[in-house]
Amino acid sequence: MLIIGGSAAIAFYMAWSIGSNDVANSMATAVGAKAITFKQAVLIAGVLNLVGAVFVGGHVTDTVRKGIVDVQSAGISNHILLIGFIASLLAAAFWVTLSTWKEMPISTTHSIIGALIGFGLIAGGVQTVIWGKVGSVVASWILSPLSGCIIAFLVFKIITITIFSKDNPVKAAKIVGPIIFGFTALLIVSSLFVKTAFGENYDISESTGLLYAVLAALIVALIGIILLRKIPERGPEDYDTVEKIFRKLQVGTSCYVAFAHGANDVANAIGPVASIIPLAQGLSIGSQVEVPIWLLTLGGIGIGIGCMTWGKRVMKTVGSRITSLTNTRGFSVDFGAATTVLVASKLGLPISTSHTVVGAVIGVGLARGLEAIDLGIIKKIVTSWLLTLPIAAGTSIVIFLALNMIF
Amino acid sequence: MEKEQDHFRVPLADTFRRKTPFTQLFEHMKVVKKGIDALESGLIKYYQGDYKGFSTISKKISEYEHEGDIIKSNLRNHLPNSLFMPVDKGKFLRTLREQDSILDHADGLVRMLDMRHTKIPKTLQKGFIDHANSTLKTVDAMEKAVGNIMDLIETSFIKRERDQTKQYIYEVQRLEQETDKIKYDVTKAIYKMESKLEPMDTYHLLKILEMVDDIADHAENVTDWLRAMIAK
Repeated sequence: MLIIGGSAAIAFYMAWSIGSNDVANSMATAVGAKAITFKQAVLIAGVLNLVGAVFVGGHVTDTVRKGIVDVQSAGISNHILLIGFIASLLAAAFWVTLSTWKEMPISTTHSIIGALIGFGLIAGGVQTVIWGKVGSVVASWILSPLSGCIIAFLVFKIITITIFSKDNPVKAAKIVGPIIFGFTALLIVSSLFVKTAFGENYDISESTGLLYAVLAALIVALIGIILLRKIPERGPEDYDTVEKIFRKLQVGTSCYVAFAHGANDVANAIGPVASIIPLAQGLSIGSQVEVPIWLLTLGGIGIGIGCMTWGKRVMKTVGSRITSLTNTRGFSVDFGAATTVLVASKLGLPISTSHTVVGAVIGVGLARGLEAIDLGIIKKIVTSWLLTLPIAAGTSIVIFLALNMIF
Repeated sequence: MEKEQDHFRVPLADTFRRKTPFTQLFEHMKVVKKGIDALESGLIKYYQGDYKGFSTISKKISEYEHEGDIIKSNLRNHLPNSLFMPVDKGKFLRTLREQDSILDHADGLVRMLDMRHTKIPKTLQKGFIDHANSTLKTVDAMEKAVGNIMDLIETSFIKRERDQTKQYIYEVQRLEQETDKIKYDVTKAIYKMESKLEPMDTYHLLKILEMVDDIADHAENVTDWLRAMIAK
């Protein structure tokens, strides 16, 4: 009981840290573009992260708890596994705190995966780490910013061609905006129904789920078109009104970001705990146990509290720094990043939301949508990729050895 | 820039700059406009032989020139290689440089005018004033062209906005040619009166004309680079 409580507390701290930093990173585009105030951002992020975590968070959590370290391999006792997961959690928490303090662009995802690899290596040797899975996870770290970049690029290009180039941009925006927004609904609803505990519980088959999603998309797009119908049009150069329309739509995409973020990042905090719980109860993790809902909820609440406390400050600061991001840009960034993160969540790939958001910003920049972006950030991110894994692994090994001596 | 003690790891914050280059180019243009407006109020009166308050105006223009210099170097010194812009950085900087030259030349002109009060002969006054007005109009047209850049950015350089900017640029070119024409007419008139004028006066009349004309030339250069910058 003490072990479960203790590890849950550390997980809660991790969730808090994710909430305060990563959520700020993903919501700041909406705040910077003035689509929502930072108070609204905090509220949206808190609630929708929880929803995303509870409904879709299970896939990535499964990867974290049994996809990196082969928990069924011979020669590792439950006792070692228990210590190992605790060590990984501690190492990741330590590393995340340090990088926050030093303001390094490091992802919680990378820390926890690195820590797990370290523990696998020390506890059972090279063959204990499931390298195939680790390989696909690492590949996803490179692919996710790229995918965010490409989707945001395309969305922004679509906006340029179908709205700005038209003789009556406002009229075009009233139609095109809700249609793109309908896709958001499609993706969210299908992610809720397809291959989730939620869908299975209510006995909704994949095709019915998809049908619901398409219906939801159509309804959302139609409602959008109807609601925006009355906005006055003032000639071919009325870009302000176009931005205003996207400001409304961006409230929706920021919900999308928060939802996707909760679905992916909650695992970083609670993944190891999901392994610790059955171990502490004397069961083996190999048995097909669902990730307990209360744990997902705990993670979601932790993220929510994180963004309501420290995240508020971070969001305010970052939001004021990126004011050059207008609503059409913010919309593209949000859409590109959230779609990537949500798809990765469904695939069970733990990726970094922060890095995906940066990728999406660069995508809009490449579409000639931004006045200036600092590509120096790419170097920083790549460095953090190269450094985080070995350092988190090393820390995890040290903590593991120390704990192993004590217990 | 002071280091903030906020303690967060948010890579997004490093991707953006607090002040964007185009906003600063725009700001710089506003300073140029202020300087040229001040010049307008002083120059015409000067041509008419009213030197009262000219020193104050001259000082004001020098202040604007300094203000413009600060924006310029600030902008130029903070464009690292890693910065990605939707236009060619070299062309962007040339545009800025030419825009700054306008103020440099205005400053040089008023300093010289203030040092020696050169009387413009009655018969030449109209030509000088026309030339000054034409120059000021050229700068105004240039400001319009540069001002449209914000729309270009907003729409990510769509054809309609590029065409519009080009229209503004053609207007600048037309006005600059007109200014040139007036300059040659006045120069001809000065040569005609040459025997009636003191050599030093002749020198200064030609020099003033030349320096005012430089302002129009640089306004045109700004739009030339602007055109190159937004070309596809």
